[in-house]
Amino acid sequence: MLSGKGISKAFGKTSVLRDVDVEVHPGEITVVIGPSGSGKSTMLRALSLLGPPDTGSITIDDRVFEFPLHNPVVRNAPWPEVTVVFQQLFLWPHLTLRQNIDLPAAENRPARSCADIQELVEEFELEPFIGRYPNEVSLGQRQRAALVRAIALKPRYLLLDEITSALDIEHVSKVLNRLEKLQKENTGILVITHLIGFARRSADRVLFLENGQVLASGDPSLLVSPDNERLRKFLSLVENAV
Amino acid sequence: MQGVNSFEILYRYRDQFLGGLKTTLLLCAIIWPAGILVGGVLGVAGARWKNLVGRPSRTLSFVLSGIPILVFLFWLHYPLQYALNIVINPFYTAAAALAIVNTLLVADLIRGVLNDFPTQYLEAAKVCGLSSRTTILRIQLPIIFRQVIPPILNTQVAMLQATLFASLISVDEIFRIAQRINSEIYRPVEIYTSLAILFLIVCLPLHGLAEWLRLRFTRNLSER
Repeated sequence: MLSGKGISKAFGKTSVLRDVDVEVHPGEITVVIGPSGSGKSTMLRALSLLGPPDTGSITIDDRVFEFPLHNPVVRNAPWPEVTVVFQQLFLWPHLTLRQNIDLPAAENRPARSCADIQELVEEFELEPFIGRYPNEVSLGQRQRAALVRAIALKPRYLLLDEITSALDIEHVSKVLNRLEKLQKENTGILVITHLIGFARRSADRVLFLENGQVLASGDPSLLVSPDNERLRKFLSLVENAV
Repeated sequence: MQGVNSFEILYRYRDQFLGGLKTTLLLCAIIWPAGILVGGVLGVAGARWKNLVGRPSRTLSFVLSGIPILVFLFWLHYPLQYALNIVINPFYTAAAALAIVNTLLVADLIRGVLNDFPTQYLEAAKVCGLSSRTTILRIQLPIIFRQVIPPILNTQVAMLQATLFASLISVDEIFRIAQRINSEIYRPVEIYTSLAILFLIVCLPLHGLAEWLRLRFTRNLSER
């Protein structure tokens, strides 16, 4: 299990995360929702140890990282066993989409086989522009390539930050179906999203974050009949916007 | 000399012009590699040790940018040598002065590119499980080279043009040769146009290469 206990983080005097608990179980999907600036991406960075928290602990299976660290460098980092698809995808700009996908897969064994990667490329309809550079394709196409790059690594835990924001309905549906497949392969998934329908249908647990605090958490029924007033308001705003 | 054009002057005085061009290119053969190598090391060191190396190098470059190259060259040649009571061949003085300028310009460029390197690409490499070696060789260096090579080439073209100032301290480079020919035949328009033609022949391919590298290899790093 990948979990964060009591994680807090501040940038200068601004507290961004306050005593947050989060769990991602293998074979389960954890959905994080919340308004912009609520600390969702910071929490994801903390969980992946890219932006370690100031206090609290992160547990990745049998490895425990207690914060604050005595040494500022995280040793035995869990990448790519835990991997991330960022909101701003950060595909390497000098490599084609194909090279962006193949370079990490070649470096990390056991990643998926070439045939599996090709299947992913076809599933996400990347083939026609797979030889292009990131700046030559649309944001939606980059999002799909970044997702394939991460899935190709066969991570044990996959953390996704708003990865469907630039996709059309058809591709959103493909991505969500793939996430459900990954779930069946026992991958633990954490998704930051505004797709409440997906959260209701596929999530095993839901977290509602606001002002760096978890205001509500539990199973997806939380989204059907929320007992938190702020969550109720947020859901109605999201659903009216869709 | 009535009715001669620049090409005729170039042809008639080809030996002098070629001699001057040889001196100019010899100057470049010193200031280009010296500037790129020492500037490269200084730039990397400045990005790595910001206070120890970066700040002094930036300050020096800032001060020097406010001093015309001509004046810098003059100081190094006349007052400095007089103060030290030594005599140095003006060719070496010019080479040293221009190499210092080139070194600081290159160091500034490299330090800037390194300091502005988007660390998110390194984070992406981390979460994708790339080793430090692969990250440096396949991600960091190729992006840095793509960003830094076109402006460095343009700087070298500017340095080539700056070699004209060496004429001030009596280096027989191409501008001084042109001046000398002009004092003989007094055809300034044609002579300096000849000089421009020679410079175009050398500079345009370098500018073209820099532009081609920029268009071919530099990428939009903003993800927009």
